[in-house]
Amino acid sequence: MKRITLILCLLLPGIISTAQNNYDASLIPKDLLLYASAVVRNEEVTTEVKDLDNVIHRVKRAITVLNKNGDDIAHIVVRYDKNIVIKYIKGSSYNEFGKLIGKFGERDFEDESAISNSSLFEDDRVKHYIPAITQYPYTIEYEYELKYKQTLYFEDWTPNPTTGLAVEKSSYVFICNPDFNIRYKELNFPVKVVTGNNKYGLKTYSWEINNMKAIKDEPLSPEWNLYLTRVIVAPEKFAYGNITGSFNNWKEMGKWEYDKLLSDRTDVPSQTAEYIKELTANIADPKLKAKKIYEYMQQKTHYISIQVGIGGFQPFLASDVDKLNYGDCKALVNYTRSLLKVVNIDSYYCLVYGNHKEKISMLRDFASMQGNHVILCIPFKNDTTWLECTSQTKPFGFLSDFTDDRIVLACTPDGGKLMHTPKYTTEENLEKRKASFIINDAGELTGDMETVFKGTDYDDREWIIDDSPAERVRDIKRIYPINNLEIDKLVLKQDKSQRPVTTEDIKLSARDYGSVSDGKFSFTLNSVKRRIGLYQTRNRVKPVNINRGHTEEDEITYTLPKGYHLVSDPLKVSIDKPFGNFTAVMTLSGDQLVYKRKLQIRDGTYSKDTYQDLVDFYQTVVDADGYNVALVKN
Amino acid sequence: MITKNITLFLTILFISISAMAQDFPYGKVDNKALEMKKYDKDTSAHAVVLQEYGSSRIALTNDYDLRITFEYHAKIKFFDNKEFDSQGTVVVPVYGNGNSYEDVQEIRGITFYKDDNGLIQAAELDPKKVFRVQDNKHWSTLKFAMPALRSGCVIEINYKVVSPYIYNFHSWNFQSNIPKVNSEYEVHIPGFWSYNASLKGSLKLTKNSATVERKCFTFGIANADCSDIVYGISDVPAFIEEDYMTAEKNFKSAINFELEEETNLNNGAKTKYSKEWKDIDYLLKGDNSFGSQLKRKDLMKERIMPLIVNKTDELEKASAIYTYIKNTIKWNERNEAGSDDGIRKALDNHTGSSGDINLALVTALNSAGIRTEAVLLSTRANGTLNNLYPNLFDFNYVIAKGNIGDKSYFLDATDQLLPFGMLPLRCLNDKGRVFSLDKPSYWIDMITEQREKVICNAELTLQVNGKLKGTITRFSIGYSSYLRRKEIKKFNTVDEYVENFNSKLPKVKILKSSITNLDSLDMPLGEIYEIELDAADNLNHEHFKFNPFFMNWITTNPFKLAERDFPVDWGMPSDERSVFIIHLPAQYIFENPPQNMAFAMPNQGGKFLTSYDSRDNTFTFSNVTQFNKSVYGPEEYPYLKELYNKIILSEKNEMVFKKK
Repeated sequence: MKRITLILCLLLPGIISTAQNNYDASLIPKDLLLYASAVVRNEEVTTEVKDLDNVIHRVKRAITVLNKNGDDIAHIVVRYDKNIVIKYIKGSSYNEFGKLIGKFGERDFEDESAISNSSLFEDDRVKHYIPAITQYPYTIEYEYELKYKQTLYFEDWTPNPTTGLAVEKSSYVFICNPDFNIRYKELNFPVKVVTGNNKYGLKTYSWEINNMKAIKDEPLSPEWNLYLTRVIVAPEKFAYGNITGSFNNWKEMGKWEYDKLLSDRTDVPSQTAEYIKELTANIADPKLKAKKIYEYMQQKTHYISIQVGIGGFQPFLASDVDKLNYGDCKALVNYTRSLLKVVNIDSYYCLVYGNHKEKISMLRDFASMQGNHVILCIPFKNDTTWLECTSQTKPFGFLSDFTDDRIVLACTPDGGKLMHTPKYTTEENLEKRKASFIINDAGELTGDMETVFKGTDYDDREWIIDDSPAERVRDIKRIYPINNLEIDKLVLKQDKSQRPVTTEDIKLSARDYGSVSDGKFSFTLNSVKRRIGLYQTRNRVKPVNINRGHTEEDEITYTLPKGYHLVSDPLKVSIDKPFGNFTAVMTLSGDQLVYKRKLQIRDGTYSKDTYQDLVDFYQTVVDADGYNVALVKN
Repeated sequence: MITKNITLFLTILFISISAMAQDFPYGKVDNKALEMKKYDKDTSAHAVVLQEYGSSRIALTNDYDLRITFEYHAKIKFFDNKEFDSQGTVVVPVYGNGNSYEDVQEIRGITFYKDDNGLIQAAELDPKKVFRVQDNKHWSTLKFAMPALRSGCVIEINYKVVSPYIYNFHSWNFQSNIPKVNSEYEVHIPGFWSYNASLKGSLKLTKNSATVERKCFTFGIANADCSDIVYGISDVPAFIEEDYMTAEKNFKSAINFELEEETNLNNGAKTKYSKEWKDIDYLLKGDNSFGSQLKRKDLMKERIMPLIVNKTDELEKASAIYTYIKNTIKWNERNEAGSDDGIRKALDNHTGSSGDINLALVTALNSAGIRTEAVLLSTRANGTLNNLYPNLFDFNYVIAKGNIGDKSYFLDATDQLLPFGMLPLRCLNDKGRVFSLDKPSYWIDMITEQREKVICNAELTLQVNGKLKGTITRFSIGYSSYLRRKEIKKFNTVDEYVENFNSKLPKVKILKSSITNLDSLDMPLGEIYEIELDAADNLNHEHFKFNPFFMNWITTNPFKLAERDFPVDWGMPSDERSVFIIHLPAQYIFENPPQNMAFAMPNQGGKFLTSYDSRDNTFTFSNVTQFNKSVYGPEEYPYLKELYNKIILSEKNEMVFKKK
């Protein structure tokens, strides 16, 4: 889908300045310099709807770059395609004291394709310009105007989109005819919109913000929707190419999408339809039928990103995918939906924000073009099933961490419907390990280890599962922190049920695992899964967000070399906190040492003060994981 | 490296007429290929190139335009879907400038597969599904995805690239990331042109034959014989990358060509391109993007005179000019061996490539009377040079060599943080060719005295509350000082750097810090931290413990392979040493004094040493890690691996203090 590119590329554009502005860097308020590489001195963004197919988007912006790290922020990137025309770009640069040192125009910009490497085709292009100024601080002031030939979506206003950027002043004005109605959504915006009319009798909506400090990169931050200041505007009536429409809520938006973009695209060639019927003829259970069809689709197709046609919002015809065996997310979801339709199974085309790291939901109370990906939902009675159609390997009904636990928009014949994808819980996301090792008196470790991965952890070995044996062994050696690790046998198995399980079986050896000298013998008790600590931070600003729970359980039995006795104090740690718990215990009987470890991290949002607790918690884990067993010869 | 001279006007040894390579017929597949379940010579392969044939021919078009036509034809078998992205989507980059361009023609593709009913089907590539993207001013890309791919299928791809750039003869990659049953390249060159061919990589040609075709090329009254040469390798294994190696293309089997001589079709005049270095020297001297720029002393003079007017010492002058160029032209991250738009433009716009910046530097230094040469080189990522015959196109970078007194200094002004006389890692590759306007060029090894060196000293006193208090000083010397400055400059302030440094050391509280010589680039960079380190042992409150490796912990051996095929190349030697002095309160003793460890690589290649010493209630622990070479060959690899093993073993010795 195209929107994510829009969001990512255009977070940066911004606004104003007139000749009177003084860009002397020393005038920047001191508290804006903290953690800042650059400061927006002044920004004015204006969107003016002249007609349904004519929107002028004007950006004026002055940025003072404080050091080399701010150069990227000063890099001007203007995206365009066949629906967006660049009217003009111009700018000037100023030295530390605000003295004009140069001017630049559109001819100084480089023109490049904005196509991503993974994509076969997109018509996105960018014009970009890197100000080349070697003395810091410096200021660049620029201005550009774009003409959009559509009103389906407008650029969001995000005055402070990136870490390291402070904002002295930024404003956004939306201008339209009195009969052009909009809805807007203010996110993390401390003040309110000001509405009015300009001298031409046009409606204006104005937002302004001053003195925003630079956002600091903090581990375990909430997803960006929850802290970035942003204003989104959506039209009531709009035109996109030759498609027109209107929507005020998700129901209407989903209806429009279903009727205008998705209908009449599901015909499959009769041969394929016949084959599908034949394939599922002996299956009575609709869910098993669907599974068969999904697996057929998986082995037949593969994912290729192509953004053509109606701005990348409309899927290819199912018959094209049937012929080519490839398509993007929209095309493959539409194709799967079409195949299911052949055997009278209804399914929903669902828009979603796919992201492995952050769970971003559709805004519940604001309908607009959101999402960057499409998945399929089959509304079996009491057993709603979700399908990721771009994967050739995902088990039927398994979404994984890319689209789990978030609000999506299902496009149904009755209109749009917000739905929530399944959540994988702390207990379900399990990495459970059982090992039996022997350590001989030369310090060599040998033994067997079995690990099962469940929930979103199912995917943990996905990246190597189809590699050659030599590559797998190489990669497994990078995963485990055992020095001199040699893998004598490695078996990976996948149980592709709806609650899938990956099982890893390893036979291993490692010389010098234990260190032996002078009758003393020591080795690290936790050989397989050692945590690294969490960064300490000063003055935490944002709440702590753990977006996915997780459980690790290890049980390792060591057979110790004969003739030694333990001299270190046995390991026994147990802590329990709201965000997680940890126990690590060893017991020794004869030459059998049993080590049990359990670490559980619970998802949730916690106060910013919790962060220090988490640091301490992890440090306890790190210390326990680093515990050395010390033995001495009898 | 093997080199073959393609001598065209001379008599060529006839091997056999029938040895001529033959392209295989298009559009045919046998059931055997479709039925193939794995490739016997590499059972882990997800795909294999069954046949690959390429050819390059120089010929005249109907309009008497001279063109090289490169034709590519391959048949690839997929055992599963893993290589669909890399092999099933084809990308052809093409170059063009305002006046001329490369043209891709006759693209065709076909996918053979067994359908759901087990019948053999063929799906042809739809020409409308071939996309062209203009990437930037000069480059565009043709891309297409093969239709109807499925596990077990066989695809066939065939296209031509017609190019007007005679000097840019298509090279051929025998090796890729999937194995090949057979790969052949046929070149067809009329006697008006001659090229040098060079083979890279460790594989030997299994086919190499030449034939002559009489009077195959006619232009007006001129005519020439053509030489037809076939290079082939069978059973090409997949190329597997190793860590810490230099550019893959140094090791992948491929054949490259460089234009040596051209005969003018109209007047018969011969132009030698790169026969000998003196030819190249001559060419470069007159080149607008190179020699002409070196002559622009007047342009530089007015700019640098004010900088050096009061200076008499040459080194001081050179240093001032170096700093001026660094601060005046910002590197646009492009590696170039010349200055395409001229150094004036770079000076005016304050931005330029390595060529713009360093040619400006060479010229500026010369204009100040400091004898300076330009050194052309190939960056590490660009691969090693072919140094068997002169070839200008291998170079992608240029630096300055300033000669002051009896010393010479390599200078690269692309990075403001580089001290005078130090080169960035990317330049430390192979050899450089030294050019000046008045002397013949010569080779120089791109080896410098610079090394990475870090010295860490700590003096800590254990408090009865279990905190170790004291000072840690870290000096980064040589290349390490450059790297450390870069690291510090990633932060907006020194304070933010220290905060970040501290954030990774959870048991440490930095009470006070200072950084010395941050802007004195020629000096070692010092970091002085007053710290408090928590030595409490959560498991045993009678104990305190401390690990002297806490600042740069190495968890596992970076070298995993049992043996290597390619050298480990770090670019320069390194040396790291630390000394910890720890004072204990009277009632505490050091429970587990470590054993001294010593491991040395053969031939003084490197070493790791630890030593422990105690006196009264003070003890000293020191360690040294030294790698004396830049490059370690596969035969030295086991020792390198073992050295790391020893480091990791000694890291395990945590120091434990307990009450007497």
